[in-house]
Amino acid sequence: MRRDKLRRLALPASLLGAILLLALAAPVLPLGNPVSQDINHRLAGISAGHWLGQDEYGRDVLTRLIWGARVSLSVAVSATVIATIVGTLLGILGGYFRGMVEIGTVRMAEIVLCFPPMLLALLVVTLLGPGAGTLIFTLAILFTPTFARVAYAETLSVRALDYVTAQEALGARSGRILLRTLLPNIAPPLIVQFSLTIAAAMLLESGLSFLGLGVVPPDPSWGLMIRGARTTMEQAPLLLLWPCLALTGTVLVLNLFCDRLRNALDPGTGGRSRPGFLRRLAVLAGAAEQPAAVPGLLAVRKLTLEVQGPTGPVPVVRDVNITVAPGETLAVVGESGSGKTLTGLAVMGLLPAAVRVTAGQILYTGRDGRTRDLLRLPERALRALRGRDLSMVFQDPASSLNPLLRIDAHLGEALRAHGQRQGIAARVVELLRNVGLPDPESRARSYPHELSGGQRQRVMIAAAIANHPRLLLADEPTTALDVTVQAQILDLLAGLKRSEEGMGMVFVTHNLAVVAEIADRVAVMYAGEVVEEGPVAEVFAAPRHPYTAALIASTPEGDAERLTSIPGRVPQAWAMPEGCRFAPRCEHARAICDQSAPALESPAPGRTTRCLRWKELA
Amino acid sequence: MSAPLASDVPLLRAEGLTRSFTGRGGLFRRSRPVVAVRGVNVTLQRGEALGVVGESGCGKSTLGRLLLHLMPPTEGRVLFEGEDLATLSGAARRGLRRRMQMVFQDPYGSLDPRRSIGAQIADGLLIHGLADAAGAERQAAALLRQVGLEASHATRLPHEFSGGQRQRIAIARALATKPDFIVADEPVSALDVSIQAQIVNLLADLRQELGLALLFISHDLHVVRHLCDRVMVMYLGRVVEEGPASAIFHSPSHPYTRALLAATPSMHHRAKVAPLPGEVPSVANPPSGCVFRTRCPAARPACAEAMPPLETHPNRPERQIACWRAAEIEP
Ligand SMILES: Nc1ncnc2c1ncn2[C@@H]1O[C@H](COP(=O)(O)OP(=O)(O)O)[C@@H](O)[C@H]1O
Ligand code: SF4
Ligand code: SF4
Ligand SMILES: [Mg+2]
Repeated sequence: MRRDKLRRLALPASLLGAILLLALAAPVLPLGNPVSQDINHRLAGISAGHWLGQDEYGRDVLTRLIWGARVSLSVAVSATVIATIVGTLLGILGGYFRGMVEIGTVRMAEIVLCFPPMLLALLVVTLLGPGAGTLIFTLAILFTPTFARVAYAETLSVRALDYVTAQEALGARSGRILLRTLLPNIAPPLIVQFSLTIAAAMLLESGLSFLGLGVVPPDPSWGLMIRGARTTMEQAPLLLLWPCLALTGTVLVLNLFCDRLRNALDPGTGGRSRPGFLRRLAVLAGAAEQPAAVPGLLAVRKLTLEVQGPTGPVPVVRDVNITVAPGETLAVVGESGSGKTLTGLAVMGLLPAAVRVTAGQILYTGRDGRTRDLLRLPERALRALRGRDLSMVFQDPASSLNPLLRIDAHLGEALRAHGQRQGIAARVVELLRNVGLPDPESRARSYPHELSGGQRQRVMIAAAIANHPRLLLADEPTTALDVTVQAQILDLLAGLKRSEEGMGMVFVTHNLAVVAEIADRVAVMYAGEVVEEGPVAEVFAAPRHPYTAALIASTPEGDAERLTSIPGRVPQAWAMPEGCRFAPRCEHARAICDQSAPALESPAPGRTTRCLRWKELA
Repeated sequence: MSAPLASDVPLLRAEGLTRSFTGRGGLFRRSRPVVAVRGVNVTLQRGEALGVVGESGCGKSTLGRLLLHLMPPTEGRVLFEGEDLATLSGAARRGLRRRMQMVFQDPYGSLDPRRSIGAQIADGLLIHGLADAAGAERQAAALLRQVGLEASHATRLPHEFSGGQRQRIAIARALATKPDFIVADEPVSALDVSIQAQIVNLLADLRQELGLALLFISHDLHVVRHLCDRVMVMYLGRVVEEGPASAIFHSPSHPYTRALLAATPSMHHRAKVAPLPGEVPSVANPPSGCVFRTRCPAARPACAEAMPPLETHPNRPERQIACWRAAEIEP
């Protein structure tokens, strides 16, 4: 991946190199004198001797363009380099030490921002006289505060990270922390700023020279060339085109280069963030109407979901079967990455864009007694079910509420979306009271940030039950909460199951103790498969799959001196073992386990397991 | 200036630690200071493991950082082998850092994403001049093997590892300078159960092998009991109960400890008592009197008058408790 990024750097790097080389080589190139005039041929067009024509004094445009590049580029680059070094230094010191140092560095630099740039330039030119040196000085002063601010803001945020504290805990000196740890990690935004600033400096150089404040004629610079060409724009419009093309071309190449450089320096921490938006790609072919399925509410059959892996599609959820009867709570447990959340999202028809359904059925029996396959139901029909019959509570209540909307707006929206028009305010307060929010009348008028995490989760639950759902999907709804608040939310959900008659619940969690607290049945997932399913009490008392047994043993309860841990880790989706997916970590694995993938078997009525050796091990 | 090494000097002792944060209230108004930790005493012997338990915001992490002097206390002092960390010179304190280390909660935030893990493990050795470059590289490889990874991993970047593996790397980094004392701030909270067990067992083994003193911060009493000799229970910046871990786990005394244990779900039985009502009050605006009284099922009007001091339990001499009604609750 790294090499790929470097390869992408090659094109802009060579273009940039060519531009620089051309400018540097100007004295040795077979060019004429950039200032020698030829008044007889003023404004002459393109000819064999003058590939780009001649300007208002008859000077060769190509020669002036190349010599002008020297001036323009060296002014812009030197000014930006100075601004980068000084600004970064000020910003990083101010951000790391704060206090007085901050005032002496960042705040001082910011004073410059109070001057209008042109005024400042005029001031400096008046004091020092025009010329390239003055120009560099002026531009550097103008751009330093921006770098100081970017470096300062980045330093503040990186500084708060644990790996910087870890360096302090190791006893590293400040200098070492600044250079080794902070600087490399604040570099990417500075590189972006660098490319923007060089471009801005070239434009400003042109502008200042254009106003007669920069490079002194007859020396060529792109800004002066634009200035000169403007007066003769009507007679020779091409004269304006060349310097403008040179300027924009160089700026574009620079931006591209810095952009790719930043990418190449990125260590590739990707994969941590969740896919941003959810949508339903395609409806599977086939009839949605199905004969009634057995448990009477939800039956997921042979569900398989795929994502695009490095070498082709890989299944992330394979052959999953789960069922929920009315009034029943099914817990889905497993370690992170086992496919719990995706299975839940598939039921809602809300899979991330990168995930595709390749096979299976999700049979849902509605209030009207009709059974339909949600994977084959048109989006319109599914949307009518979502939020009414099927509703969902997510792990992170903070990010699932719009911070700009009041609580009553969130709940009112949920009610209105499904046709309620009257008595919304009263129903909102009633809902908030049902989920145990203290003082519901005034809470309804507050914004999400005014509530605690536990209270926000109560609001999410209120929205989920607003339309009396038949099936509630709760994805790790208590994982982000403290134990005493978690106990309250579990208590609330248990109470709702009693008051919302016939509501089924799918509760996704990684915590076995929470399963015991809330669920009737449990499905244990490992590496995208359900490896065991059955009534909670039976499964916990006598697990029929080694993974379930190992999970139970590694839960820190009971009086054992030492916790039992499962060696190794969950295999990657694209490197799944051929046979049993748990084999590399299973203490009961035999040669046969590596050869054939175990099929679902039923060790007892209402239970299933996916282990070849369950009989011997029982 | 070597410290007195008499055996009665504990490895670490903190007296009356208080830390407050003043929020940036804006240009003209200063917001009320938040007292994150108030009047906490800690004594830690060599090789001892002390657990700190409580809900988020109760001051556990702040306490851990104060003990390592990663932030100065507002009041009180921390003595490492009898030496006050605050009065040491900067260089002397940096030298002491070799002997006390930290492991963080977030395995994704605690490693520099841009440097190889081998270089990060070797940092401590180079900073303290304990090895030359080649020696540090060799020792980093050995440390990787000690925490159950492969020496060949040393050249990789952190993002190539899973959360559990990163936590092992962070532990290797903390062990590099052969410290006497490690603060582990919720090192397993972000990990899956099976991986959590791996890390807890690793810490238990290392402690035994190396005779480390450990301050283990967690919100899970179950985990603490597996690893620690003693436990401190915190609520709103105060220690409300302290004593032997397994005794407190089997029969908690303080009403808060009881509620915390009752609220922790168990695989073996469903909750029998109603959950604690309400939520933890804001640290910026704690209740008068006993900090727990707004949620305490045993509260009486008298509890609102003053905060009970942390004292030896009238009926259980091996533990300390901060509750006016300790004797009545547990006759
Ligand atoms: N740097 C800080 N600035 C302001 N407030 C802080 C800071 N660090 C912690 N706090 C506050 O101090 C209290 C205790 O925090 P902390 O020690 O992190 O608790 P815990 O680790 O138990 O969750 C919290 O209310 C927190 O918001
Ligand atoms: S099939 Fe074999 S490897 Fe898989 S869980 Fe059963 S015993 Fe273990
Ligand atoms: S002092 Fe009163 S309020 Fe505080 S814990 Fe004891 S009984 Fe409860
Ligand atoms: Mg913390």
